[in-house]
Amino acid sequence: MTIDQDRDVLAAEYVLGTLEPDERQQAEALIRSDVGFAALVRGWEQRLGELNATIPSVEPPPEVFERIRRGLAVAPSSGQIIALDAMRARLRGWRSFGTTMAALAAALAAVLVTSLVRPELMPTRLRPKPQVVEVVRTIEKPTDAAGRLVAVLQKDASSPAFILTVDIEKRTMTVRRVAAEEQAGKSYELWLVSKQFAKPRSLGLVGAQEFTTGATLATYQPDTISDATYAISLEPEGGSPTGEPTGPVLWGGKLIETLPPTQPRR
Amino acid sequence: MLTTADLVSLLAAVAKGDQAAFERLYAATRAKLYGVILRILRRPDLADEVMQETYLKIWNAAGQFNPGVASPITWMVAIARNRAIDLARKKADVSAEEIPEVLELAAETSDPLAVRERSEELERLLGCLGRLDPDQRRLLLLAYYNGMSREQLAAKFDRPVNTIKTWLRRSILAVRECLGS
Repeated sequence: MTIDQDRDVLAAEYVLGTLEPDERQQAEALIRSDVGFAALVRGWEQRLGELNATIPSVEPPPEVFERIRRGLAVAPSSGQIIALDAMRARLRGWRSFGTTMAALAAALAAVLVTSLVRPELMPTRLRPKPQVVEVVRTIEKPTDAAGRLVAVLQKDASSPAFILTVDIEKRTMTVRRVAAEEQAGKSYELWLVSKQFAKPRSLGLVGAQEFTTGATLATYQPDTISDATYAISLEPEGGSPTGEPTGPVLWGGKLIETLPPTQPRR
Repeated sequence: MLTTADLVSLLAAVAKGDQAAFERLYAATRAKLYGVILRILRRPDLADEVMQETYLKIWNAAGQFNPGVASPITWMVAIARNRAIDLARKKADVSAEEIPEVLELAAETSDPLAVRERSEELERLLGCLGRLDPDQRRLLLLAYYNGMSREQLAAKFDRPVNTIKTWLRRSILAVRECLGS
């Protein structure tokens, strides 16, 4: 058994759909981070996709398209997002930050947005896939937004679960729960993942309420804070017993500034 | 009947936010995608949900479609299958018991050889599948067509999950070798 074969089997099983949920997540992370693996998956999609011709077509109920169309009406896609101008958001375009960001997005599937596009205005299922980085800039510059960074922590395009807002100057943070449900006997724990540390550092538990604020970033340098990846894992109640993530890392993301880099910082 | 080239240009228009193109794309592909999704989920309510997710995803991701590496319908079916499988796994405890015998049977009896128009590539794939041990061929087809998990396959074939894993691996590598690179 070679590593190449293992990768090929993983890709094929991903396409077949026979992976366990955790393996499936790993495969999805690999697709985003590893061009070679993504190509293997495309290859199997194409190879096995020949079978699609043998699957009988079934006419869907007409109301399905009605619902899709209604979804489009609010979809912040392509040209339409410009309609959000009224809400002080303007789209510069879907833009990949290229390899660096792709690599960063890799492990934890981050989609980054600014807090100024209020997430509740964007239906969750309409968000772009994690490999796309949204660059949204403000037109009116809010007076209090300087030095504020935001990360949307999500697993895939349809499930933003937490929004992390960091005030880099005060080194405080607020975690807002969006879609993560409370699980009995479990706690959500926030982690800072940085190249500077061998292991993820705990930033504490995310409370059951909608907003959790904390000052656990105070001991980190601003550069570390802004470059780190943030992740949330599901841990036993009260947090990880070992000081490292023990449960599945369910959501992750990177911070992005809420102001264009060209704007002078106050 | 739209050609592959038609679908490629529709997707390109959809990527620019062309809703009329999107409607045509939907009309041309909905029945195939619904057939794929329904076969995996077997519940029209869930299939409807996945149809919506799939087409909204297609709307949003059309710009990422690369005709150089995938055919449009394969790309769209892959999106639909991934969503359907994700949902099937989430609802695993429910749907496993709710699969009506009739549907089960219908899915089982689907015979890829019954399709009249077959591309050269499909012929090759079917030829390679035909060289597999019959159980392993059935295993691959049940996984691809019906989105069965390893556990479901283990129950179906009355074998331990580890055996299913081994069979999957063996048959995948055999198909790969048979098809060549």
